[in-house]
Amino acid sequence: MVLEKFELKGKTAIITGAGTGLGRAMALAMADAGADIYGAARRLEPLEETKALVEAKGRRMEVGTTDVTDTAQVNAMAADAIAKFGRIDILVNNAGITDRGRGKTFPELDDEDWRVGIDVNLSSAFYCSRAVVPHFLENGGGNIINLTSGWGFRGGRNNFMYSVAKGGVIQLTKALAMTYARENIRCTCIAPGLIPKGIEENRRDQMNGFQPVGRVGWPREMGPLAVFLASDASAYMSGETVLLDGGAIAGGLLPAGYAPEAEG
Amino acid sequence: MAVQIPVPPMDIPADEYDSGGNPFDLSGRHALVTGATGPLGRALAVGLAEAGADVSLTTLGDDATEELAARSISAAVTALGRRSAVRRVDLTDPAAVAAAVAGIESDVAPLDILVNAQHGANIKSVLKASLADWQRELDRNATSVFVATQAVGKGMVERGYGRIITLVSILHDRGVPNAAIYGASQGAVLGFTKSLGLEWGRNGVTVNALGLGFYDDIPGIQSDEEIHAILEKYIPLRRLGKPEDLQGAVVYLSSELAAFVDSESFVIDGAIQVHA
Repeated sequence: MVLEKFELKGKTAIITGAGTGLGRAMALAMADAGADIYGAARRLEPLEETKALVEAKGRRMEVGTTDVTDTAQVNAMAADAIAKFGRIDILVNNAGITDRGRGKTFPELDDEDWRVGIDVNLSSAFYCSRAVVPHFLENGGGNIINLTSGWGFRGGRNNFMYSVAKGGVIQLTKALAMTYARENIRCTCIAPGLIPKGIEENRRDQMNGFQPVGRVGWPREMGPLAVFLASDASAYMSGETVLLDGGAIAGGLLPAGYAPEAEG
Repeated sequence: MAVQIPVPPMDIPADEYDSGGNPFDLSGRHALVTGATGPLGRALAVGLAEAGADVSLTTLGDDATEELAARSISAAVTALGRRSAVRRVDLTDPAAVAAAVAGIESDVAPLDILVNAQHGANIKSVLKASLADWQRELDRNATSVFVATQAVGKGMVERGYGRIITLVSILHDRGVPNAAIYGASQGAVLGFTKSLGLEWGRNGVTVNALGLGFYDDIPGIQSDEEIHAILEKYIPLRRLGKPEDLQGAVVYLSSELAAFVDSESFVIDGAIQVHA
């Protein structure tokens, strides 16, 4: 039965950045699919909020404060998750920041801006994947889901580290998929478009017109896609980056919503 | 003159983070799978039905044995407790397809999901191909998609909801000798998908593709025995795809919460696209 292929019963997922936004949405959807969750993030309080929501669904969640740019902390995170759950089946490399160096021109960016921007958005996925792959190999397989962005495909104006790092994440996905295809480790990548969080505080009405589908996304739309990629429902997929972006990257040749007047 | 497509009113969900319940349940939806006569059509139709959808089918207009096959797939759908209509129709004939769609919608319900699964592969060198070969390949793989999508999409746009999913070989993007004509037909379909998703995106109708690698039971370069044997070792996941491998993706892309996936192609290929 096809719906059984989407189930994650008996599986455990590490999700970085699980306290807020898309990370929280993925944790809730994976919990609905039957998975237990290990959430990692810099701040404990949002993780505890996600944990309460996951536990309300009858699933277990453990949390660990982790700076994903620090190899020692990342290795400790993986060890803690394995110690607490016995095994890890899924890693979601979700943590990232967009705002490093904001307001600076290109020549004003210093080495530290560059290093931090690349570290958080690209190296973190490398550190976390490196920390869990030996465990996946011992277990006979595993599943890695990376998060990129439309800026990984296109040029972000004054958005250097993020664009470069997210382009790198797409390539990391392909290299991991190719390297471990025979060891039953799949690696895929999601490119979310504009999916703001906070119903009240954001200005959705103003942003909707800039999207081909006429609206920005909701974090809840991220969950089912993550479950699909983490589950046997996508068993023959690996190395692929899928877009959840309201058509943004398919377009871009005209401003969203504009069309040449059609004949007839 | 430039036209601006109006922004539709926005629905605010009860919970912005929680997708809730089973987001892959397609109960109450009605899907049409075109060209559903072989193992591919069976896997797609049965997968959608297992997820709860009513599933109707079309077969080519010129072959009674294919109609029998489609009726057998339809019987598998109704055995799951879902409704199903079958029409034998030439997918390059707009009037006949419009009539078939009207009949299917009248028999079962308005269509919410269209899966363009009509597919064939003519492996031929360009120097030996005739203009008729070229036109037949484009008709079978691309014209059929235009005609069916137009016929079903009209009602979807009016009703403000639809999921259109078209099977496209990864030869839309990559090359194989002696597959230029087939590849061209696949490129046509992908280009159609990308623009149409943007054309209908503000009407609640998403248009996406399933990018196929090499599958057993789906025509392509792998239909050659020696190529098949080479691919078994060459594909990173070490096997050719099975039609059942497409069930999860077609169910996901058909689901309500896939609304923000538009003009996109999900490549399901055992990772051959990342092969050097």
